[in-house]
Amino acid sequence: MTDSQSPQTGSLGGAERRPPPPPPGRSFNWREALAPSLISLISIVVVFGVLAWVITSAEQWPRIKLQFFNVDAMIAAFPRVLQGFWINMRIWLIVLACILVLGIALAVIRSLRAPWFAPFRLMVILYIDLFRGLPVLLLVLLFGFGIPALNLPGLPSSSLFWGAVAMVLSYSAYVCEIYRSGIDAVHEGQWAAAKSLGLTEWQTMIYAVLPQAVRNVLPAMMNIVVALQKDVALLSIIGVRDAVREAQIYTASTFNYSSLIVAAGLFLLATIPMARLADYVTQRDRARRLQVGG
Amino acid sequence: MSERTAFRRGSIVLLSLLMTVFTQAFAEERTTMDPRLVTPGKLTVGTGDPVYPPWMLNNDPASGEGFENGLVYELAAEMGFDADDVVWVGQTFDQAIAPGNKPYDFAIQQISVTEARKQIVSFSRVYFQPEKAVLALPGNTLENATSYDDLRDARWGATIGTTDNDYLVNVLGVTEAAIYNEQVDVFQAMRAGQIDGTLISLPTALYVTAVQVPEANIVALLPPDENDRGHGLLFEYNNPLIPWVDDALTAVIDRGVVEDLKAEYLIADPDLPIITE
Repeated sequence: MTDSQSPQTGSLGGAERRPPPPPPGRSFNWREALAPSLISLISIVVVFGVLAWVITSAEQWPRIKLQFFNVDAMIAAFPRVLQGFWINMRIWLIVLACILVLGIALAVIRSLRAPWFAPFRLMVILYIDLFRGLPVLLLVLLFGFGIPALNLPGLPSSSLFWGAVAMVLSYSAYVCEIYRSGIDAVHEGQWAAAKSLGLTEWQTMIYAVLPQAVRNVLPAMMNIVVALQKDVALLSIIGVRDAVREAQIYTASTFNYSSLIVAAGLFLLATIPMARLADYVTQRDRARRLQVGG
Repeated sequence: MSERTAFRRGSIVLLSLLMTVFTQAFAEERTTMDPRLVTPGKLTVGTGDPVYPPWMLNNDPASGEGFENGLVYELAAEMGFDADDVVWVGQTFDQAIAPGNKPYDFAIQQISVTEARKQIVSFSRVYFQPEKAVLALPGNTLENATSYDDLRDARWGATIGTTDNDYLVNVLGVTEAAIYNEQVDVFQAMRAGQIDGTLISLPTALYVTAVQVPEANIVALLPPDENDRGHGLLFEYNNPLIPWVDDALTAVIDRGVVEDLKAEYLIADPDLPIITE
């Protein structure tokens, strides 16, 4: 404590004694300003140039180019892949909405403390153990093919519907745990304060704890949102013609893989803005919180 | 004088050495020790894993029982290989079409020859051109189909990698068929009522309805797609072995082997209705 204070007082004393240093001159040193950018530019050109040279000098490169980066094939495959991608996007948004709601409901049930909630807490724990413990791929197969085969009256037989249900069930287990970590991270004093104001446990959860919890987990949640966007492609195994399946159909028919590159491009187009948005939201939240804290 | 003899002797030795190297290299081409084979002395053949009847029976290519492995053993004998020298390499369809070096001399997996595919891999001559069969469960509307228009209204499923989907798109104009990874998934979807029927090559359809899914019926036959040349052996692009294998395959086909194998494994029911328009 004293150690860190002494140099501070010393520098303050120095500033009082000496006149302030003159303001920096307007002269601009071009060499100093440009050198770093020039070096990084040269470095980029050299590294990527060597990489490109190594890749394109491979014996198989002309064939790989024909099979993976064939512009004609890309153009031919594009309309169908785009159509499939539109299906991806719609499934993603609908499934996401269901997951966020189901996840928060499960997390709230698991975090309520009243003793008579015990059986429900137990149910949620079992649910999470079950659905987080099974590979999503397996769930999609079991739900997509298994349940419709029962031919139960009144239930839809669409593989798209049951595949989406499998995604919701699986992802809700993860999302529930993320919410719960956010709820647990809310300070114990908040519960005590709410109780002292006469709020019931339920009211405390809704008005005091949840709003803070959701803010706590925002970055982690954005991560799940991006992951889900790509995992929607799993539904292709039960016959849903999403972007990946459309690309595979083109590949299987022509043996040309350029369609996969098209699908990859579309996914990047969608996920990179999401990632930047996630960064932005996290940054803003952090700045706001630091201000409040200071 | 002695210098000259020495030179002469030397050049003769060199020449004869070169001759032997050349003649050996040429002599070894088109024999079982051909250096262009993946493993000289062996004929390495790629196929599906698992393999399906009637193309190969009992999931065992080495048994020689089945249409395709029967053909391969005849072909190997024609090329001079013993049955023991045929080595099988199991692979998925995706591995079969993947770029780069292939770990086999050629692959046989009911792979259809098309113009687009020829840009990427090379094929032997066509050895078989199957008809397409429409498969559906009893009571389905497809049972009453009599025209392409009737077929177009159904919900279709097909296996990826087959030309069945190409047929649906190019001939029937069905663009939204559900595409599954495996044949068994197609039938599961059919049982679950997610699709009405599937299109499949006739020999496979006969086997499927006899053994795997006895409740399914072949409801109609369809004529071959003219863009689909039929099944061929698949080679790495411009594999130098192709002329040799093609010659052997021609000899085998001319001997009537394919017809015999067809009669043994791929028997069609002559009473099936045919839809042509």
